[in-house]
Amino acid sequence: MTSDHDTNNETQDKEVRQLLLATADKLFHRLSDKQTLEDTAHGEFPETLKNSLVEQGFHRLAQVDSGFVLEDAFAVLQVAGYHALPFPLAEWMLANRYVNNPDDSFATIGKLQGQSITDAPWGREASHCIAVTAEGQAIQASASQWQRTYNIAGEASDAAGIDGQTPIDTHDKLFQLLALSRCALAVGAMTRLLELVIEQVTLREQFGRPLARFQVIQHDIAAMAGEVAAASKALEGGTIQLASEREEDEIAVACARVFEATRSTSEMAHQLFGAMGFTQEHTLHHFTRRLWAWREDYGNERYWQEVLGRNICSRGSQNLWPFIATNR
Amino acid sequence: MLNFDPVTLPESSEQLRPVIRAFIAANLPAGPRNSDFTSGYDASFSAALGEGGWIGMTVPKRYGGSERGYFDRYIVTEELLAAGMPVAAHWITDRQTAPLLMSHGTEAQRERFLPGICAGTVFFSIGMSEPNAGSDLAAIQTKAEAVAGGWRVNGTKIWTTGAHLNHFLMTLVRTAPPTSNRHAGMSQLIIDLKSDGVEVRPIVSMTGKAEFNEIVLNDVFVPAEGLVGNEGDGWQQVTSELGYERSGPERFLSTFRVFQELVHLVGPSPTPEQAAAVGRISSHLLSLRRLSLSVAGMLQAGKLPNIEAAMVKDLGTRFEKLSLEIARLAAPINDNRAAFDQALNDSLLLSPSFTLRGGTSEILRGMIARGLGLR
Repeated sequence: MTSDHDTNNETQDKEVRQLLLATADKLFHRLSDKQTLEDTAHGEFPETLKNSLVEQGFHRLAQVDSGFVLEDAFAVLQVAGYHALPFPLAEWMLANRYVNNPDDSFATIGKLQGQSITDAPWGREASHCIAVTAEGQAIQASASQWQRTYNIAGEASDAAGIDGQTPIDTHDKLFQLLALSRCALAVGAMTRLLELVIEQVTLREQFGRPLARFQVIQHDIAAMAGEVAAASKALEGGTIQLASEREEDEIAVACARVFEATRSTSEMAHQLFGAMGFTQEHTLHHFTRRLWAWREDYGNERYWQEVLGRNICSRGSQNLWPFIATNR
Repeated sequence: MLNFDPVTLPESSEQLRPVIRAFIAANLPAGPRNSDFTSGYDASFSAALGEGGWIGMTVPKRYGGSERGYFDRYIVTEELLAAGMPVAAHWITDRQTAPLLMSHGTEAQRERFLPGICAGTVFFSIGMSEPNAGSDLAAIQTKAEAVAGGWRVNGTKIWTTGAHLNHFLMTLVRTAPPTSNRHAGMSQLIIDLKSDGVEVRPIVSMTGKAEFNEIVLNDVFVPAEGLVGNEGDGWQQVTSELGYERSGPERFLSTFRVFQELVHLVGPSPTPEQAAAVGRISSHLLSLRRLSLSVAGMLQAGKLPNIEAAMVKDLGTRFEKLSLEIARLAAPINDNRAAFDQALNDSLLLSPSFTLRGGTSEILRGMIARGLGLR
């Protein structure tokens, strides 16, 4: 039985989260304007956007002493994905969880590859940088000779040789949390794609009637809605199970299912927006290109399917059903 | 947008799990098992389940039920399916007839039928489809004319699962011609399958078994007390039960035994491809179960989540087919495959029915589209 006290706390937590998400929604909507989306894609660091995030404290959301739980941080990232927020909030939040960064300067995370750090969003502009491997290694790296590249979404993604490093203790598994951040962002973006598509087919007329009146289009969108719903549920499992003994498996489930859903949802959205959605001018690609970037960042669906499958097989077929039937 | 709130099975319900698992372990049938709810008709197993209190679990005790909630029922049904127990005899009766009688049946009908249903000894078939009314259910032509003391029924029902073995037919009929509203004028009648004028002709499916039937109703007399609820409410009764019919674990666990055999076959050290196949199937299963549980939560809360249930069935049944493809491509070629092949072949032969029975994918997507505001 749940005590009244717990129930009150739960209700309070829920209200606090609702408030947090409403604030994020309003702010990210404002910050993800067309101009900022385009400027950042041309290598211009969005200083104003960054400062607005600092004002609201979003960059500190994943800190252990933030007063929030990681679940809240991932819920906020879902909102960021929904707006295609052109900023690596996930990296910044998670970096601040591990490095001492009292002055609100920007911190980022990249991949550790030998003596180099790669794929670090705005690495050149960051005052602190963490580098991780899939195997669980994590260091705080200092680097000076940054090379700028752009990922498929046009986001600054920098690489550098490492000048100095300090190992850091990621008391939870940072690589997995980064992968889960991609799930949260992607579910937000796919939710938005579905809304955009529904709006489009309702407004756009061909053959004398709205596209929504065509059965084939209704069925495509119904299937798309199913993928978004399944992906949302997979993400829910990953975030609810954080810090439980199922954490690793549920994060793998989330990544496997969410990233699998990105293919058909992005394909369908582009198909239904036609040539208009293929233009630079249209907002659609800000979402679909990000989906294509996120699903590769920290292991794609194939990678996580394998992780999950290995875990399941190692426990033997007699433990398969108990594993499926005990998710909370 | 559709909303699927998170649902966690309550601890009180989870306490049932070891109990039903012990019951299953004590009643395991010999020979191959299948997780499909239509395969394995075993009246004596159903009676044993009924005696254990595992049928009609949400039905009040005064009608023979165990007066539990939907979450309790969920645990029992998913455990039975995963284990591949022979549940076909009572499955549809437990899933649809019992809740229908509770929500729309007369007091006399509840008193007469529910105790037997809950005991696992009285089995209903559902008479909806007709030769010229498949997905377009409102096109049914089976006619019930009012006569002294009841109704006289003429028409043909088809694809009626289990009617050659079951006792009663919950029959959707026209008690009045359609008006401008083609959903008007339909009612549900309980027909005793032993009545004069009822002819049940088994139809052999491509699996080689006769699990469904054509039923010819020729001047069948149905006493007045066989009318469920009010005359003319048939369509509303049928559509209000869709949440129960479409969202349960039987919509994504039909192929579970194949998956189980795959994991057994690849063993504890799978190749990367095999591991990925196992992981992919699991990621779908766990997401679907969350969706399905969310709908169970809505049912428990007294809502009518028909659109959400349609989505669970559409996603779940397509996954069932996909899971067979993933499994067959991942299975190693070796001399331990007999059990896997048996399970795979049994499921493959059934698989065309997954996306047909209980509402085709096309009908479901139409409903989802309406729920999204597209129609």
